[in-house]
Amino acid sequence: MRDFLLGLAFAIGGGVVIAVAQTYPTMPSLQYGPSLFPSLIGGGMLIGGALLALSQVRVLAARRHAPEDPGLSRYDYRGLALSLVPCALIVFYILAAETLGAGLCMLLSMWLLMLMRGAKWWLALGVALVVSLIVTLLFSRYLLIPLPEGVLLPQSLAWIG
Amino acid sequence: METFVQGLAMVFNAQTLLVIVAAAVFGLFVGAIPGLTATMAVALLVPITFYMDATPAIAAIVATSAMAIFAGDIPGTYLNIPGTPASAAYVGESYRLARQGRARETLGTNLLCSVFGGLFGTLVLVFVSPSLAEVALNFSSFEYFWLALLGLSCSIFIAIGSRLKAFLSLTVGLLLSTVGLDMMSGAPRFTFGVPDLMAGVNFIPVMIGMFALNEIMLFYGSRNEARSVPAMAKDSVFRQAPATLRRYWRNMLRGSALGTLIGALPGAGADIAAWIAYALGKSRSQEKEKYGTGHIEGIVDASSANNSGISGAWVPALVFGIPGDTITAIVIGVLYMKGMNPGPTIFMNGGSQVYALFTVFFVANLMMLPLGYLAIRASKIFILTPRKMLMPVIFTFCIVGAFAINNSVTDIWIMLVIGLVAFVLARNDFPMAPAILGLVLGGTLENSFMSSMLKSGGNLFAFFERPISAALGALVILIWLLPTLIKQFRRLRRPASAGEKT
Repeated sequence: MRDFLLGLAFAIGGGVVIAVAQTYPTMPSLQYGPSLFPSLIGGGMLIGGALLALSQVRVLAARRHAPEDPGLSRYDYRGLALSLVPCALIVFYILAAETLGAGLCMLLSMWLLMLMRGAKWWLALGVALVVSLIVTLLFSRYLLIPLPEGVLLPQSLAWIG
Repeated sequence: METFVQGLAMVFNAQTLLVIVAAAVFGLFVGAIPGLTATMAVALLVPITFYMDATPAIAAIVATSAMAIFAGDIPGTYLNIPGTPASAAYVGESYRLARQGRARETLGTNLLCSVFGGLFGTLVLVFVSPSLAEVALNFSSFEYFWLALLGLSCSIFIAIGSRLKAFLSLTVGLLLSTVGLDMMSGAPRFTFGVPDLMAGVNFIPVMIGMFALNEIMLFYGSRNEARSVPAMAKDSVFRQAPATLRRYWRNMLRGSALGTLIGALPGAGADIAAWIAYALGKSRSQEKEKYGTGHIEGIVDASSANNSGISGAWVPALVFGIPGDTITAIVIGVLYMKGMNPGPTIFMNGGSQVYALFTVFFVANLMMLPLGYLAIRASKIFILTPRKMLMPVIFTFCIVGAFAINNSVTDIWIMLVIGLVAFVLARNDFPMAPAILGLVLGGTLENSFMSSMLKSGGNLFAFFERPISAALGALVILIWLLPTLIKQFRRLRRPASAGEKT
């Protein structure tokens, strides 16, 4: 089922790519313009995706008479939601780092991630604190990366940057 | 001679040697932790190499990758969980040996085979690539077009699993490579009005997303944290080694040669080299029945092959700028940034740099011996480091690493989006190597095609007019037709053999 949906997604994506590529300018002096490669890639996605989806249609049709696949009905939605937590934390970092500062955002994210897998809260806090201090120090002071310092705690964290 | 000495001096100084040791320890750690691959170790290392000179930067990558591939054997032996995919082929053998109380002996053999394989691959790199480069000097855009296409085709046909999925994975990489200003017309493509995308998608955030964030997401989506360490038996790391090596030196040589060759093929890396070497070793063994029950011979072939594959992958990367595996795909980007543009001229202009690079390979592989020995003695540390504490730390490095390339938040977004896409694809058995190759070779493919067409006035037959170009073109077409030919061949043989029986 998932392969069917992915195939469909690829096919639709390929179609969109081809459509977007047609808007690119063509140059009279050249036989092949900037739209050639994106169109070919889009075509590949369209055909490949369609083939994948079609191959699954046959499988699904054969399975219709067979008993229901337990793996399909008991899909692990909880696991999926948990695996999206790191992504949510990245978005949190992008949105909040300018205000909270990179160090604090890292600290909070790491702490939360450690607690999620059942680490002791004080141990997790300690490790997260030390690591975020080291990372901030290493990247801002030695590698001169302008990590956002934030506006909330400028005095207390000023010595890091 | 003078350039050779200069090259040696670039490696044998305190800074570079220190970098090699530090990178080796880092590689050891990452490789020994299940779920973290050698490619991920290198991807996380790249932001830091930006601030080094060319030689230490390359040294760091070589040492990390070689060490990580060996270290992948440690959790494989103790826990039956391969530390990197390259150890997966023989994890069954090594775990059963460990259960017999021969864990250290197994790891000692692994270590010696890894060092031998790495040095063998390096020798091939040193002796083959300069002469290959002389041939490549005559290459024009026509040959490079076919080479890039050859690399991409190999990545699909060598991939384990569905070829259709490998192809779709490739299209994702190729599509990413078209983002940015078009080389010929200057028209922006797929930039969505974001100025940071004008120069194209930076591949380091892509790598971090694909190999690190993807793994982190898989970890949080799964629930298995349970791990048990079997009691350490009092076996010796190297006591049995001379006897084992005397008995199986042919396997080491065969595994190393096979590994170097497979490593040099674009798209196939250390993991595929190990699988094929294990299978070949088994088919040629006189004690086939012992395979799968904890047989040291099963380790020798594959353990030599995965490390030689790492070195072998550098041959096409240096000579043609075409990566042999995902690690060298990253390396090519680093080489460009350091002004050491890969391609045949690197052997003419590079001089001392190239000697330095070769020396780095020897030093890094030899350093594996003492460091690996210490790691085997202290392997409990790696196995007991809980992933629940480690994954958040890697998570932090992902964000900072992606940001550090251009000091741009756009790169963090790219990492996030690619990580999500890779997560969905990897969970559904899409191989990742074709996507990486597509991203790295997409530009070469398009640019060489466009400049060839400019030269020939749009005549497509020009791709078959030069002898080497025509031969490469024929090879590509042969690879495409190979699956159909094999199918036809089998169909022809089946009725024939059925006929013989009746």
